[in-house]
Amino acid sequence: MPGIRLRVDRPVTATVVRSIPADAAECARVLADATADRRTVRITGSGTKSYIGDISATDIELATERIAGVIDHVPADLTVTVGGGARIADVAATLARAGQFLPLDPPHADEATVGGVIAANSNGFWRARYGGVRDLLIGTRTALADGTVARAGGLVVKNVAGYDLDKLLVGSFGTLGVIVEATLKVLPLPEKTDGLIARFASPGDAFAAADTVVRAAARVEACVVQRLAEGAWQLAVQARGGGPTVERALRDARREITARHGDATALGDDLGRMRELPARAIDGALVRVSLPLAASVAFAENAVRIDSFAALVVDAASGIARVHLVNDDDDAVIRDAEALVLSARMVGGAGRIERRAEHLRSRLPTWPTRPNGDFLMRRIKDAFDPAGILEPGRSAFA
Amino acid sequence: MRGLVALLGPTKVLGAHDDLLLYEYDGAVDTATPDAVVLPESTADVAALARFCHEHAVPIVPRGAGTGLSGGAIPVEGGVVVSFARMARILEIDVSSLRAVVQPGVINLHLSTAVAPHGLYFVPDPSSQKACTLGGNVAENSGGPHTLAYGVTTNHVTGIEIVLSDGTVVRLGGKAVEDEGYDLVGSSVGSEGTLGLVTEITVKLTPLPEDKRTLMAAFPTMDEASETVSAIIAAGVVPSAIEMMDQLATQAVEASVHAGYPLDAGGILLVEVDGARDGLEDARARIEEICRAHAASEVRVATSALERERLWAGRKGAFAAMGRLSPDYYVQDGVIPRTRLPDILRLVKDAGTRHGLQVANVFHAGDGNLHPLILFDSRRGPDELERAKAAGLEILTACVEAGGSITGEHGVGMEKNCFMPLQFQSSDLAAMRRLKDAFDPPGLMNPGKIFPTPSRCREFAFASTAR
Repeated sequence: MPGIRLRVDRPVTATVVRSIPADAAECARVLADATADRRTVRITGSGTKSYIGDISATDIELATERIAGVIDHVPADLTVTVGGGARIADVAATLARAGQFLPLDPPHADEATVGGVIAANSNGFWRARYGGVRDLLIGTRTALADGTVARAGGLVVKNVAGYDLDKLLVGSFGTLGVIVEATLKVLPLPEKTDGLIARFASPGDAFAAADTVVRAAARVEACVVQRLAEGAWQLAVQARGGGPTVERALRDARREITARHGDATALGDDLGRMRELPARAIDGALVRVSLPLAASVAFAENAVRIDSFAALVVDAASGIARVHLVNDDDDAVIRDAEALVLSARMVGGAGRIERRAEHLRSRLPTWPTRPNGDFLMRRIKDAFDPAGILEPGRSAFA
Repeated sequence: MRGLVALLGPTKVLGAHDDLLLYEYDGAVDTATPDAVVLPESTADVAALARFCHEHAVPIVPRGAGTGLSGGAIPVEGGVVVSFARMARILEIDVSSLRAVVQPGVINLHLSTAVAPHGLYFVPDPSSQKACTLGGNVAENSGGPHTLAYGVTTNHVTGIEIVLSDGTVVRLGGKAVEDEGYDLVGSSVGSEGTLGLVTEITVKLTPLPEDKRTLMAAFPTMDEASETVSAIIAAGVVPSAIEMMDQLATQAVEASVHAGYPLDAGGILLVEVDGARDGLEDARARIEEICRAHAASEVRVATSALERERLWAGRKGAFAAMGRLSPDYYVQDGVIPRTRLPDILRLVKDAGTRHGLQVANVFHAGDGNLHPLILFDSRRGPDELERAKAAGLEILTACVEAGGSITGEHGVGMEKNCFMPLQFQSSDLAAMRRLKDAFDPPGLMNPGKIFPTPSRCREFAFASTAR
């Protein structure tokens, strides 16, 4: 549109250009040009997590959909290298044909891309068993704002050469660069999967049982406590591995559940529903916190007493809890959501308002509190993206 | 010196020549004498020291137990060495959150010993774990034999307190599994003391496995041992450790530790599986079967804790046992995709032969993390070390060309900083430099490490082979 000058310091109201680079070099060129012209860039994979942060409209929407595909899979090395735009589900299908799997179960399982999962540090319930995104990621190539492509880590599972910039990218929300390639650890597909779901009258019993399951000799793949607005406390346990180990894990879990007056039945797709809470929580606010394990039960008991409480899902093995709050009174939602994040901070945890209804966006920021070391984050952001073109507003700390 | 004594008191500062000599070396081959050594007793001492050094533009080099194998604790550009020997307390054991909070001078093994009564342990177990400190582990992102299944140091650290070069104290992360914002904890682990001084560490504790099976398998050649490693992984078994040793290493170990390794084997594997008792016999049987299918002449399963300890004592004592073979050794730490083991091991041997030196191999085969011990005798003249280094460089070049890394757990330090361009292009190094500058703008934290320095690296001009 002639006559209109775009300025970085005044958000424009509509995306001007959609750019779909074919490879890393083209992606880097887009960024170099954007830096030179001071045009802002929003990065999208499948766009599943656009609810996080407060990004305003940008000049360019950079889609990673053509930088996809499995680049290399060496089964005997237990590693896979994929394009940043590759969908987790497609990678899983490729690996399954070789009898392996990527041990990551993030929300938005059908749509999420590898680059997006890394950038959003999007984990599921398997984290305590196999490690999270940060633990599975061993190498990256990232297109930077200055038009260079930087490689970090490598193709091997052990590597301490130089700084671990892979870790810096995990949870960076695209503010440092576009992840164009990632190498991840994979595992052989276990021979057996089995699970159970139990109901408890009290949160104390549910969490005590969960705590024992997490520390048990036969390690489980997922151990999740759920409570909905109506109904009992539930504990879902899933084990995967060799036959004898899985049987042992569930036998021990069942014994513990019975001792705690729980009532166990076979597991259906309960874990899938619990994992996809962020995809469903389009109204009210969804609070996500990470807690010291010992603080989980008190946090949960407090959460369900809140007026706006609608649902609670706690990964009891890693201390990640989500609380969905719904209330006709917006002020109540805002007050309760911010109080929950604050309560996590007060016990040594951290948190964010992961998702909120569209109409609450302007009143309820994703990060009501700032993490320690935010001045270092700011410096890092400035060093990688001095013109501030990447994902402006996405995160509070960069 | 006078300024430091005035700041911290005479008991925390060493300046006499004889005292300084004790701090001029570590576990590697390079040396340099510090201008002073400071022994802080608190974070406040460290912060005061950092402010002082910042004001006077003096480099700071942190030091744990000095067991490092890449010259990380050597004050190559002079300055103050900070020894954390007096900050060695376990501050908290939080059994219900599976965390411990420690000071950096705590010895690795002491932590596992302290938490054992709670049925817990700290997973990373470097061979030097009886001496090395957790601060050093954090700096180097140390590994160990049991990191194959459970990860290295970075996978077990959730929080740090770090003193920046201007004296600012920042607490990053904590007991929760993650914090909001950039993962500054993950970015700091393995930074070799070049970003700041870590004064407190929060680590994960892991429930001790219910049981273990430890197998020693002897093979006619290293090729068969190598192929067995890939076959075990391919069969879907992921042991907690797979260690390999060649005949030269076995002979040295047997002469000093008497672990019971067969002296006539071309290569031996030490394999361990752990976890719930129920699946272990199956796993053991499959591993044994795979070993025999790859021509193992002997497979021995430890039948008691004592026997297991003996098998492991051989592995953990291997570096020390090298004294039996040669007065000096130069150890490399390259990593390769484990499928490339057979050809790279041949290449390692050839590199030694070319330079007239013997090479013993004791390493983490499951991770593809080599430890070629290049044997030399410095009494025969300075040429010996130079030849050892030349052979080492050939080995690292091969590792990078195979898609690997120049270091898996020992760090870059001042020993391999000139080799970084083998693995990384200038744009990769520039990205790392940005992180460095954000943490340490004046560049006072452990200078001369990780990044190639123009003065020392002039002779190395590599065309990067990085993919």
